[in-house]
Amino acid sequence: MTADISSLKNKSYELRKMVLDMCIKAETGHVTSSLSSVDIMVALYYGGILKYDTENPHWADRDRFILSKGQASPLLYTVLADAGFFDPSELDRFAQRDGIFGVHLQWDVPGVELTSGSLGHGFGVAAGIALGAMMDKDLFMVFTLLGDGECYEGSIWETAMFAAHNNLNNLVAIVDRNYLCVTDFTENIVALEPMEDKWRACGWNVKRVNGHSIKDILEALAFVRSRRSHKPLVLIADTVKGEGIDCLTNDPIWHGQAPKGKDAEAARVCLLMRQNDE
Amino acid sequence: MNNIAQRDAFWNRIYDIAAQDRNVILISADMGAPSLDKYRKDLPAQFVNVGIAEQNAVLIGSGLALKGKKVYLYAIAPFITLRCLEQIRVECSIMNIPMTIVGVGAGMSYQDSGPTHHVLEDITIMRSMPNITIHNITDSVMASEVAGMSYNIKNTTYVRIDREVFPDIYSPDTDFRTGAAVVKKGEDCYLLTTGCMTHAALHAVKRLEQKNIHVGIIDIYTFPINEEFLLETLKGARKVVSIEEHFLPGALGSAVGELILDNDMPIKLKRLGIRHAKGFCYKYGGRETIREFYGLDRESLDREIELFLTD
Repeated sequence: MTADISSLKNKSYELRKMVLDMCIKAETGHVTSSLSSVDIMVALYYGGILKYDTENPHWADRDRFILSKGQASPLLYTVLADAGFFDPSELDRFAQRDGIFGVHLQWDVPGVELTSGSLGHGFGVAAGIALGAMMDKDLFMVFTLLGDGECYEGSIWETAMFAAHNNLNNLVAIVDRNYLCVTDFTENIVALEPMEDKWRACGWNVKRVNGHSIKDILEALAFVRSRRSHKPLVLIADTVKGEGIDCLTNDPIWHGQAPKGKDAEAARVCLLMRQNDE
Repeated sequence: MNNIAQRDAFWNRIYDIAAQDRNVILISADMGAPSLDKYRKDLPAQFVNVGIAEQNAVLIGSGLALKGKKVYLYAIAPFITLRCLEQIRVECSIMNIPMTIVGVGAGMSYQDSGPTHHVLEDITIMRSMPNITIHNITDSVMASEVAGMSYNIKNTTYVRIDREVFPDIYSPDTDFRTGAAVVKKGEDCYLLTTGCMTHAALHAVKRLEQKNIHVGIIDIYTFPINEEFLLETLKGARKVVSIEEHFLPGALGSAVGELILDNDMPIKLKRLGIRHAKGFCYKYGGRETIREFYGLDRESLDREIELFLTD
């Protein structure tokens, strides 16, 4: 792992700004759901974890990245544009009449594997791809990013049991544990903790990490291709919904919307201040 | 005619295909069949049991299909369509990932198992979605040939299999891509049937002929319906009766009504099927008893058809 953490941190701020600007311009998009996942995505796409080829999005040996929490599409689109899968000018047309993508994830965008937005799907499809890869003795890995609220879906646990039973150690799930759902904190709705115990009971290797420490995430995934365990691996990544923009955090009101007017300016200032503080 | 169960005819054919191609994968939601025992024994690497978890069956199947596998899902019909409907909608309909969904227990063929195991809504629901083809199986010949066709599908196909063993009415050289067939030639009146009701109609027609009432039968076994074929075949027809063991809204009778309306056809349509007002049936003693409850038994069919055709 040669990635320089401080340059990765800078990339995180850059992406946060791009996501914010894109959603403010479009007046839509799940800004806070995207922000909680930024550091995880930077680790995967810029930290040397994922194998991909921007010139050949369908490269057979690519690692599959399945964004199961499809509402974070503004983040994935931003990453894919920045990485070079398509022209970054497409970000200006997010959810616009002549744009190629909108609020929820769309599978025909270069670099995207799966349509998502309805929750509890991507994880299962990722397990199916991982099973197919094992059958074919392929060496690529399948990574999937889940929302914690998504873990209310029963299908998540159908898949969790299945993946462990079938020894899918080529499958890595990351749960963006930002503790916030649409209307309230998860522990007020129906408690999701103890999260680690639930996954462990399903037969998974579990690691809990600080989802905003790129270093921790990279360390947790450092030997992901040479694990001795037959079990699939889940990282429960503790995060903050809206991370990086303090005025958008810890309030469910900001789910699924972009700040407007004065709120938009305040959000931009918040992000800048945070960057300057570091 | 071999007169075997539709299910066995289907899986026997898939066994032969799977034995030649290791990319054929069968996913069972803990559903077995005598004809599958051989498959499980001989081709264990191509058999995946997900447990009683239909949502996961569709998701795992979708992942395997994206990896290039030819995927077959198997469970009881109401469960493998309705329990995982939203997975079918997103993965199969929206994303157009191809797989073959095999549901056993068409209509009321689970008889005394009751309404949880009957399925009277699936044709309506599955035909409402783009990129889904339904084959409502009529006999074991069709089951086997549809299995053969399923190897090369480009979009998701739902194979709706009846548990009852009927006499075979088709020959193996039938081109089942047509999606409908004239089972008995008529003049200006036709019974339009699907699945098990094609057999009920064959019996009804024999009884009606003794009363000098002549009517043809068209078996419509594929949805979306083949409009071109039906427009041509129904040229000159005056009256048609649709007959289905299914709730009336949205299924065969509705599809025929849409065809007549959209094409301004001068045809009177009578729809026989199950009215919502009758609700779900908790009567036991076999399929004919349940059909009596719903007014689809032999006597009711004869009476309704005769009344309509002679009116």
